[in-house]
Amino acid sequence: MALLEVDGLVKHFVAERSLFGRALAHVKAVDGVSFSLEAGKTLALVGESGCGKSTVSRLVLRLIEPDSGTVRFDGRDLLALDPNALRAFRREAQIIFQDPYASLNPRMTAGQILTEPLALHDLVPPAQRRARVAELLRLVGLEPRLARRYPHEFSGGQRQRIAIARALAVEPKLIICDEPVSALDVSIRSQILNLLRELQDRLGLAYIFVSHDLAVVKHIADHVAVMNLGQIVETAEADALFASPRHPYSRALLSAIPLPQPKAKRTTVLLEGEIPSALNPPAGCRFHTRCPFVIERCRNEAPALLADGSGHATACHRTAELPSADAILPAAGGFSPALAKLVAAFSQKTEGAATAGVGIQGTAPTTT
Amino acid sequence: MSAAPLIEIKDLRICFHGDDGRITHAVDSVDLSVANGATLGLVGESGCGKSVTSLAIMGLLPKQSAEISGAIRFDGLDLLQTPDQTLRNLRGNRLAMIFQEPMTSLNPSFTIGDQIIETILRHRGGSRKSARERAIELLRRVHIPSPERRVDEYPHKLSGGMRQRVMIAMALACDPRLLIADEPTTALDVTLQAQILELMRELKAASGAAIILITHDLGVVAEVCDEVAVMYAGEIVERAPVDELFSAPQHPYTVGLLGSIPRLDHRAEQLATIEGMVPNMAQPPAGCRFAARCPFVLDACTTAPPPLIEVSPGHLSRCIRAPLERLVS
Repeated sequence: MALLEVDGLVKHFVAERSLFGRALAHVKAVDGVSFSLEAGKTLALVGESGCGKSTVSRLVLRLIEPDSGTVRFDGRDLLALDPNALRAFRREAQIIFQDPYASLNPRMTAGQILTEPLALHDLVPPAQRRARVAELLRLVGLEPRLARRYPHEFSGGQRQRIAIARALAVEPKLIICDEPVSALDVSIRSQILNLLRELQDRLGLAYIFVSHDLAVVKHIADHVAVMNLGQIVETAEADALFASPRHPYSRALLSAIPLPQPKAKRTTVLLEGEIPSALNPPAGCRFHTRCPFVIERCRNEAPALLADGSGHATACHRTAELPSADAILPAAGGFSPALAKLVAAFSQKTEGAATAGVGIQGTAPTTT
Repeated sequence: MSAAPLIEIKDLRICFHGDDGRITHAVDSVDLSVANGATLGLVGESGCGKSVTSLAIMGLLPKQSAEISGAIRFDGLDLLQTPDQTLRNLRGNRLAMIFQEPMTSLNPSFTIGDQIIETILRHRGGSRKSARERAIELLRRVHIPSPERRVDEYPHKLSGGMRQRVMIAMALACDPRLLIADEPTTALDVTLQAQILELMRELKAASGAAIILITHDLGVVAEVCDEVAVMYAGEIVERAPVDELFSAPQHPYTVGLLGSIPRLDHRAEQLATIEGMVPNMAQPPAGCRFAARCPFVLDACTTAPPPLIEVSPGHLSRCIRAPLERLVS
């Protein structure tokens, strides 16, 4: 049985009210989203701003209430839980936010931040909490003595490590990572991505990874769902999706990402026009206003999300007729032989240094 | 590179004097040049000095707190010695800049047309009517649909991608010789980013302007730049033609950066990481500024600052261990 099963999730926000409080306009943030996630696996929700990916992640945790649909976690119907049961459920599912500057209380030390979930859920007797905090800090690669520091004394990457440690404090089965590395510099980003993967292997965590960055998603996800204007347009195993994206929107997204490879040979699908508003999504297929393969049928009839035998599902009337997507990404060859050797040497040496003292980077806070 | 570059920066140093008397060395001995029609990518992580360098070129650093030395030669002038009045005539005219966040760089209380027209009238003069026609023409050039109508709209009515197009139209209003684009697509979604990058390539081909593109995204650099300068802790640590930088980098920091980005065109089980932190720029280290984080460090690295050496023609590296191929063969 899957750890998480989401079926027909709908959330419309009221965008405008009349003088008497009657709703005049709705933002259809999430409109019929279904997916499932196995324990220990990573599902990535990808799409551009306003596609509803963050709303889905909050609905799954019941941080906001859906208008309709069901969320089953470990067989239990989340929407039927009373407040006490809901609080107990929060032990099993946690969230990490994009901005570690905003998600940590500036008036609490790292130690207090990590003690709070332990006390709230009464997981560890008070006498042992300090030891558990030290253990959590070590788990995310920080030195235990840093527990006395306040968030402003840490760098962005270290703060995100604390946010991860806080999520891990309750020993959850599922962590929702909402753009966890988008606010970080590239060299720090790789540290956090490596950490998330290592923790998954070690603790058997399941992740829902919300991101707009497909290169990051390719690195971390087992399964990918591409969202556009509140709906999933394509979902597949990550390898299958990146090898041959089917939906025209997935193709456009993949081909829009600049590759760090000058003069790479690839087909590009350049979209015209702007992202339509979720306030008033287009009729028929919601992508038809920007789709280079649009036909009359797309304007009137919304396509269903249909899966083939391998579980690769696409919501497009023209799935079968579209040209091959092989050339959207070059098969390999991103690294020249010289670069591959240099990177290997670089990593080998730094790994040696890192094992000598985990959290070596914790010795001096940034001054910027 | 042609004999006479359009802009040439020599030994640029910028220090900031903080209120508490602390001096931060934001940029140190930077040499750069860009030829007519060429695109230079300036890459590096937050705080490496890439934006400060561009603000110095534009003469936009605060005079009270920023101490600038060196020379910035543009078209026969040293911009650092140029009187403010002359600089004002250059900015928006022959020197133009696009910023990251189009919402904060457009004035919300004027229509986009007014803002473009103002630039044209300030530098070119002429009638308001002809300036308006030029504004509409510029909006058409950056692919804004129905520019005749859009010209009278306020910035808040436009989406992020549209606003960035307006910023580009405004920057191009007086046919600049040099365009500085500071993270022009960072705030945009990927499909819009692709449109803006395509537009920049198109405009470069049409106008022959030189471009300095500041970004942290190595993918963007690979797509639009001819040459790249990598900055770390206020210094240029590597400068190379774009192909060479990506195929055979000559500075360990560049190697670390290239190894640490997840890529669509490469599968890596484990990403490279750059351990440690950027040095405190109030007291920069005596030797190489990357030494504390460098896996290839030698004792000699920490004693004296390494010079920028030419590893191969046009490829410079501030590393005493370059060429790095020697380390892995």
